[in-house]
Amino acid sequence: MKNLYKYTKIWWIMSSHSTQIALSSRFSAVVFVIGKLLRFVFFFFFLVILISKTNTIAGYSFWQVIFFFATFNLIDTAAQLFMREVYRFRTYVVSGEFDYFLSKPLSPLFRTLLGGSDILDLPMLFLSIVFVVTAAVQMEVVSFVGVLLYLVLMANAFLIALAFHIMVVALGVLTTEIDNALWMYRDLAAMGRLPIDIYQEPLRWTLTFAIPVGIMITFPSKALMGLLSTQSVAIALLIGIVFLYGSYKFWQYAIKHYSSASS
Amino acid sequence: MNKYLQIAKLTWDETFVYRLNFIMWRVRLILQTLTLYFLWVSLIPSGTSLFGYNQSLMLTYILGTSMVGSFVLSSRSHAVGDEINSGNLSNFLLKPINYFLYWFARDVGDKAMNIIFSIIELTVLFAILKPPLFIQTESMFLLLTLIAIALALIMYFLFNFLLGLIGFWSPEVWAPRFIFIILLNFFAGGLFPLDILPKFIFSIFQLLPFTYLLYFPIKIYLGQLTMIEIFTGIMISLSWTILLYIVVRYMWRKGLLVYTAQGR
Repeated sequence: MKNLYKYTKIWWIMSSHSTQIALSSRFSAVVFVIGKLLRFVFFFFFLVILISKTNTIAGYSFWQVIFFFATFNLIDTAAQLFMREVYRFRTYVVSGEFDYFLSKPLSPLFRTLLGGSDILDLPMLFLSIVFVVTAAVQMEVVSFVGVLLYLVLMANAFLIALAFHIMVVALGVLTTEIDNALWMYRDLAAMGRLPIDIYQEPLRWTLTFAIPVGIMITFPSKALMGLLSTQSVAIALLIGIVFLYGSYKFWQYAIKHYSSASS
Repeated sequence: MNKYLQIAKLTWDETFVYRLNFIMWRVRLILQTLTLYFLWVSLIPSGTSLFGYNQSLMLTYILGTSMVGSFVLSSRSHAVGDEINSGNLSNFLLKPINYFLYWFARDVGDKAMNIIFSIIELTVLFAILKPPLFIQTESMFLLLTLIAIALALIMYFLFNFLLGLIGFWSPEVWAPRFIFIILLNFFAGGLFPLDILPKFIFSIFQLLPFTYLLYFPIKIYLGQLTMIEIFTGIMISLSWTILLYIVVRYMWRKGLLVYTAQGR
């Protein structure tokens, strides 16, 4: 309990600092927020144009497709908001600054992942929540159990996102080549912007179980729509836990092999 | 000329220094292509058509923009802004080297690498997915496609260079580039053929330079444009290229006047 308080306090202080840095240039802050909003609006517009002609995508109605898209944005944005420090990790390893992370009485993994939240993602997070709620209301098939399962699987999705980030930084420790690994994760996650049902086998299976993008993004939405069996929910939670455990083991392996070559 | 060839060659070699990063970059592009490929396969089943495209035309468009994008949009000149901000530009100003040609040579080295890998990857994807592709056999259309691609890559280079020149006046070079990438992703036609948009919006798009980076060359290849439309498109593309060149030269001259070599 004492540890939790300590880490919450540290997270708050570091987030305050990163917020001050992000807002030190008003121009950049405004441009980045506008860019993120535009990216959302453009893809939304694309979906509207598509569905205006086809009525459905892979059998899903307009609001269902929007729900998938908004859920993807919610998970993706939340991961960026909290784990923005991962995007700066390469600099720390290359410059040798990572050594300071290791020498402090603080989990280096915590410092690496959560050492600088990005306030510029906050508007996108709110927008995603608004779209999730609006689409859910419009679908009119939402039940209490569906909402409960959605929330449980969203928590599972954040664990999988966390696991992906841990793997990326572990790879960064071993190779210092992190930038494209991180963007590869973003691209994989973006494959879930639309329901994974659009992909053919064996890609669909791979995206569901091997690289659990489907479990991370499509499953929560399907659960809310009542399209997911109890067995699938159990498998999703199991894969989430195994994935997180595996990534943590990989981090431990990487940290043991850190050579501190740059310092 | 030989020195610029050497620079292109060095850029080629440099890519192999960071092999894992390059492989991941290529995997990313494959993932992006696959996402769009399967989306359109799902939307246009075999034997049907949507927005005037049958499956063959649409998949050729998607795979074609992926390949043209590998060539046109691969670039190293995005680092110009950082060079100005760090003061590294001073090193080049003292050397008998043309700074524009230096970066163009770097771009060429990068493009050569990307196009080779793109061809290999698309060949593998073709062997696995066996998509019904449209093969253009008219040599005139093929030639015009190449001309449109050549203009597109010069235009993209000038865009990148221009954004880098912001570094003369501000350290905030990444924020404008971020907006540029967002606009490029949507307006260039990499996500979908721009002519599926409502006519009014598409007619505005036709006046923008982004349209001529990916959409226009592939549409020529598909043989879906009349000669008048192709001629008009090439003229618009050429006008943007000349305009960008003039602006880049002007900004470069003005920028050098305020350059303080800060950071050195």
